[in-house]
Amino acid sequence: MKRPSVLTDLIQELKRLPGIGQKTAERLSFFIMRGEKLRAEKLSAAITNVKEKIVLCSQCHGITERNPCDICSDERRDRSLICVVEEPHDVYVLENVGEFKGVYHVLMGVISPLDGIGPGELTLDGLKARVEAGGVKEIIIATNPDLEGDATAIYIAKLLKANGVKLSRIARGVPVGGDIEYADTVTLQKALEGRTDMG
Amino acid sequence: MPLFRTRALVLRVHYLSDTDKLVTFYTERYGKIKAVAKGARRIKSKFGASLEPLTLISLIYFGKEHQSLYRVNQCDIVEFHQTVRDSLATCFYALYFIDLLDSLTAEGQTDPNLFMFVTSTLESLTPEQNPELLCRIYELRILALLGYKPRLEQCVKCGQFPRSHWVGFSYNSQGIYCAPCLDGNPVETRINLGTLQYLKKLLTLDLNRWSRLKIPKGSEEELEQFTHRLILARLGRELKSYPLLKQIIHNY
Repeated sequence: MKRPSVLTDLIQELKRLPGIGQKTAERLSFFIMRGEKLRAEKLSAAITNVKEKIVLCSQCHGITERNPCDICSDERRDRSLICVVEEPHDVYVLENVGEFKGVYHVLMGVISPLDGIGPGELTLDGLKARVEAGGVKEIIIATNPDLEGDATAIYIAKLLKANGVKLSRIARGVPVGGDIEYADTVTLQKALEGRTDMG
Repeated sequence: MPLFRTRALVLRVHYLSDTDKLVTFYTERYGKIKAVAKGARRIKSKFGASLEPLTLISLIYFGKEHQSLYRVNQCDIVEFHQTVRDSLATCFYALYFIDLLDSLTAEGQTDPNLFMFVTSTLESLTPEQNPELLCRIYELRILALLGYKPRLEQCVKCGQFPRSHWVGFSYNSQGIYCAPCLDGNPVETRINLGTLQYLKKLLTLDLNRWSRLKIPKGSEEELEQFTHRLILARLGRELKSYPLLKQIIHNY
């Protein structure tokens, strides 16, 4: 017996999502079909709202419902401190820590020569303009500690060197709860380089 | 399932899922392979920094022989090439080198000499010396090692050593034409005899002595255009890393 076309359409659309294969898409589709109508409507509305109401903040390029975003429009935030991150979701990861009181700048990617992504594809002009507008004392570069993230950090450091702002990079080393015995030589080397004074 | 043990250079890394990575290696004993590193994206992953591109590692992987995808079992860093990574210019040159290696080689073709040459080139790459000449050596030698060495000694038509001040070169025939043989042959570029001598020298130069060779600016530009067109003719496309390399070199 042929499956109803509306159900096939839903399976096809769910299969487009990352990490969802045929079986998972079928399972999710039958779950939605069997569930309450109200839940399906809520899911549908949530997906539509994400596409319609989310915009990029004109200042930090983070995702927001209001422009400028809550962080950029918060008067209690320290605007002299900018934390540079790769992607919009990195802002929320750092915000969950609750320690950082400055503002953010989202690059919307990293320099990746093997993928053909150069500095022109990132929001570096926006970052430079924010620094040149004055009032910025420190830039914290929080790109991932990988080859692309490090190359982007070096590029930003060169780009903003002439502006006289303090440039710093997030620390790297052994993760909390990790074991030194199993750490690789490069990670240990970075941990020793970035050691902190306890006196 | 057999375990394979070899030294390997990490060429490329793709995110396969929330926790896994798909890594392309160029190995000393088994040529280019692709392998899945389970849990490599986790912050406490046992692989740590060893799966970063440009890293030379001691690799243990498993899977059926001639299978397209293997599984990484263990890897230890042999050389991280930190000085190469610390400079934007050398980092971009190194990435261009591995991009070229990845594009020119097929999976499973073993070539220990090529592996040795690539790892030696990365070791020779330093921010203090102009990497442009090393880049020319790399482009020419990698083509030569893969069997695409341009014929620069004698005219491909008459077999004579050219006596004029310049020669013609055909990227299709991969060889030079002396002036009398040019008529009716599809010659795409002209090379000065001086530049031709440099080309021959670069094909045989000891990698430990490359920085001692001094080439005039004019010949350097001619060499760059020549090797770039040679690679374009072989690949049939521009590598993504090449225009970015030029952009970075131009700006810094």
